[in-house]
Amino acid sequence: MTSASRGCTSCRSNSFERDAMSGHLCCTACGLFQEYDSYEPHLGGLNGPEGTFVRVGTAGTGTVYTYKQRKVFGAQTLIGELIDRLGLTDFRAEQVKTMVANITENEFGEGNWFPILIGACAYVVMRKDNKPLPIAEVASVICSDIYELGRMVTRVVDFLDLKGSEKFPEFDIVWSFERAVRKSSTLSSVESDTLEIMRKQGIFLIQCAVKWFLTTGRRPMPVVAAVLVLVAELNGVNMRIEDAAMVVHANVSTTRLRYREFLEKLVKVAQVLPWGEDVTVKNVVKSAPFVIEYMERKSMEMPDSKKRKKVDGVIGVDLGDVVSECLRKDVEYGTDGYGVEGDSNCFGVEQNGGIVRAGDDDDDSDRMKLSHECLSLMYTEFLDKMRHKNSTEGSTEIRGRKRTGFKHRECMDWWNGKSDLTKKLLLKQILEKDVGLDALPPSFVTGCKVYKKRIEKINAAKVRINRVMHPSRTDLGESCDSCSLDSVHAKKKRNRRQSNDIDWEDFIIETLLLHEVKEEEIEKGHYNTLLDLHVFNSGVLPEVLPWKAK
Amino acid sequence: MADQGGLEGSQPVDLKKHPSGIVPTLQNIVSTVNLDCKLELKNIALSARNAEYNPKRFAAVIMRIREPKTTALIFASGKMVCTGAKSEQQSKLAARKYARIIQKLGFPAKFKDFKIQNIVGSCDVKFPIRLEGLAYSHGAFSSYEPELFPGLIYRMKQPKIVLLIFVSGKIVLTGAKVRDETYTAFENIYPVLTEFRKNQQWCDISLKLLLLRLDASLLLGL
Repeated sequence: MTSASRGCTSCRSNSFERDAMSGHLCCTACGLFQEYDSYEPHLGGLNGPEGTFVRVGTAGTGTVYTYKQRKVFGAQTLIGELIDRLGLTDFRAEQVKTMVANITENEFGEGNWFPILIGACAYVVMRKDNKPLPIAEVASVICSDIYELGRMVTRVVDFLDLKGSEKFPEFDIVWSFERAVRKSSTLSSVESDTLEIMRKQGIFLIQCAVKWFLTTGRRPMPVVAAVLVLVAELNGVNMRIEDAAMVVHANVSTTRLRYREFLEKLVKVAQVLPWGEDVTVKNVVKSAPFVIEYMERKSMEMPDSKKRKKVDGVIGVDLGDVVSECLRKDVEYGTDGYGVEGDSNCFGVEQNGGIVRAGDDDDDSDRMKLSHECLSLMYTEFLDKMRHKNSTEGSTEIRGRKRTGFKHRECMDWWNGKSDLTKKLLLKQILEKDVGLDALPPSFVTGCKVYKKRIEKINAAKVRINRVMHPSRTDLGESCDSCSLDSVHAKKKRNRRQSNDIDWEDFIIETLLLHEVKEEEIEKGHYNTLLDLHVFNSGVLPEVLPWKAK
Repeated sequence: MADQGGLEGSQPVDLKKHPSGIVPTLQNIVSTVNLDCKLELKNIALSARNAEYNPKRFAAVIMRIREPKTTALIFASGKMVCTGAKSEQQSKLAARKYARIIQKLGFPAKFKDFKIQNIVGSCDVKFPIRLEGLAYSHGAFSSYEPELFPGLIYRMKQPKIVLLIFVSGKIVLTGAKVRDETYTAFENIYPVLTEFRKNQQWCDISLKLLLLRLDASLLLGL
C-alpha cells in the first residue's frame, strides 16, 4: 500500500507503506506510524478474513447481549403481551412460556410464525385445564386466520402427544358461556342475583342445545351467543345479537341462524301447551317462560330408563286405556293447594306418555300438578297478549329490527333453578335427561327431506317413461295428473307451472333409470358418479371379457 | 350392463362382503403414471386444445378429457397424475388416453408404472351420529374440533384409512390404494357408528305428542 485516503498527520504526505511487523501504516516521508483505529488485522488468525470491519448496532461479539439472548428476550416480551391481551394471568403466561420453550428447545423464535405458536400454546394450555378459549378470540388477538391457528394447534397437540379426552379435554361450551357472561359489557350493569339466574338459565339452555344436536358439528360460539341473547331477553336485559356475537367473536349471521334454530326447537317443545298450535317462531319468546319452566320440570323427572318401565305399558299397547284414563281426570286435577294463586305454582305437567299422574308417586311433594283454571288463565293471558301486541308499549331491538316488547313474567315466578341441567353435566347425563323434546340434527333432517324429494322425482320420472313406453295407458294417467294438479294448484299458477316444469335433475334421473341404474343408487344423489359409471362409460372394458369367460 | 368394478352399485349387495348392507360409492380415483420422456410443456399447451398451462401458477400442464371425465396434471419430467375417475378401470383408460394424446403431439411417451394412489369413497348410514360420544370413546383414533371442522376425523390404523364422519350420517373414506380397503374400513367403522346413533323414535314421539295434546285439551275443556 503506497497511499491512503488521508495525508500523514505530521507532514501531510500521501505516501505510506505498511510495517511488516505491526501491520500499521508508516509515512514514507517522515516515518511516523499512522493511527488507524478501525483496522482489525486477521480476526480469524492467518487464514482469516482481511479488511476493515464496521460494526452496526449492538449485536455480535463484544456487545452486551448476544443474538440469542435478544431473541429470547423479545419472544418472552411478546408472550407476555399476547397473554395480557388474552386476559390471562401471569401463571398462565409462565405455562405458555414453558410450553413454547419445550417445543422450540429453548430457542423461542422470531418472525410471523411465532405469534401463531404463542396463540396455539395459549389455546392448548387453557384447553388442558378445561377452561378453553374460543379459537376465534385467540386468532383475533394474534391477528391470524382461524385455520392457520388451528393447524398450529394440531401440530402442538401432536408434538406434545396430547391424545384422548383426559390429556386434552373436548371444547367446553358451558365454560365458554360462563366466560361470555362474565366478559359481556352489556351484562356488567346487571344485578348479581339476576346475573346468577341468567347464568343458570343459560347453562340449562346450552345443555338443551347439546341434547338437541344444535352444537354437534357446528362452531360452538354462535350457539353461545344465541343463548346469551335469549337469556338476556327473558330477563329483560336489552342485548342485540350483534353485541353478543361480538363478545364471543362469532359471526353475526350464524348467530342469528342459531338463535332462530333455538326458537324453532322451543316452538316444538311448546306444542304440548294447550295453545301450542298458536305458538310460532315469532311469538315463542313470549311463551318462553312457560316453555322453559316445562322443560325444567321435565328435566327434574326420573331418567327415561327408569320411567320407561312404567310408561311402556301405557304407550305401547292400549290407546283406549290411555284415553279413558285421560277422561278420568276430574278428580286427579283437583285445584286444591295450587289453584290460581300464581303461575309459579300451577304450571306443572307431569307427563309420562301423556298420562298425568298427580299424587301417585312417592316424591310428589315437589312434583307438579296442573290446574285447568291455571292453564285457562295462562292461555287467556297469552291470547290477550297476542291480540294487543301491536298496542303494547315499549320496544326492544332484536336482530336489528324494532319489535314490540312485552313484559315477561318475573324470573322468580317461573324459574326454579334446581334442575341438574343448570350445572355442567357429562354428555351421557345430558342425554339421559328429558326436556320435552328429542330433536334430530338439522343436517340430518335436511338430508331426509332431500331423499324424499328425490324419491318423488324418481317416481315422477317412472310415470313419464311409462307414458312413452305404453302410450295406450297415457290418457288415464294424464287426466288423473291434470285433475290433481288443477285441484291442488288452482290458485297458485306459479307453483303449478313450477311443478309441471321438468328441470335438469329430472332429465338426469330419467337417463339413469333408462340405463337401469338401481333406484337406491339414484336416491343417494351422486349423479355425476352414476352418469360416469353407467352412461358415459363407452371406453371401459369389463375386467372379464364375455368371450374369455366362456 | 357390463360387469366391472365401477358398476358394483347396480349389482345386488353381497352381504358377505358388505354385512352392513351399505356399499360406499367411489367418488374419485387418483392415479400416477410415468410417460418416461421429457416433455416440452409449452409445446403441449400450444398444440392441445384441451390443455392449460400457466407456469407462474403451477408447473404442469392441466389437461382434461370428457370421457372418462377426468383431469390430468402433466409435468415436464414426464410424470403424470390423473384425477377425477370414478373407477380404477376408468382411471387407467383415461391415463392411456392422455398418453396417446402426448404421443400424437410428437413425444415418445410410454406407459410405465401406472399406480392407483388414492381412492375416495362416500356413503350415508342414514342415522344421526353423536360425534362427541364417538370422539370421547375413540380418542386415540379420532379428532373432533367443531371450531375448525364440522366432521370427526377418524384415522383408522388397519386398514390405514382416514374417515370423515358427519353428524348427518354421511361418511367420507379416503386414503385407500385398493377399493377393498375402503369397503373394509367402512365395515369396521359401521358397528362403532351404530353405538353412537341417535335413536329415531318417530312413532313414539308423535304418539306422545298426540296424547299430550288430548290431555291438555281435556283439561282446558276445549
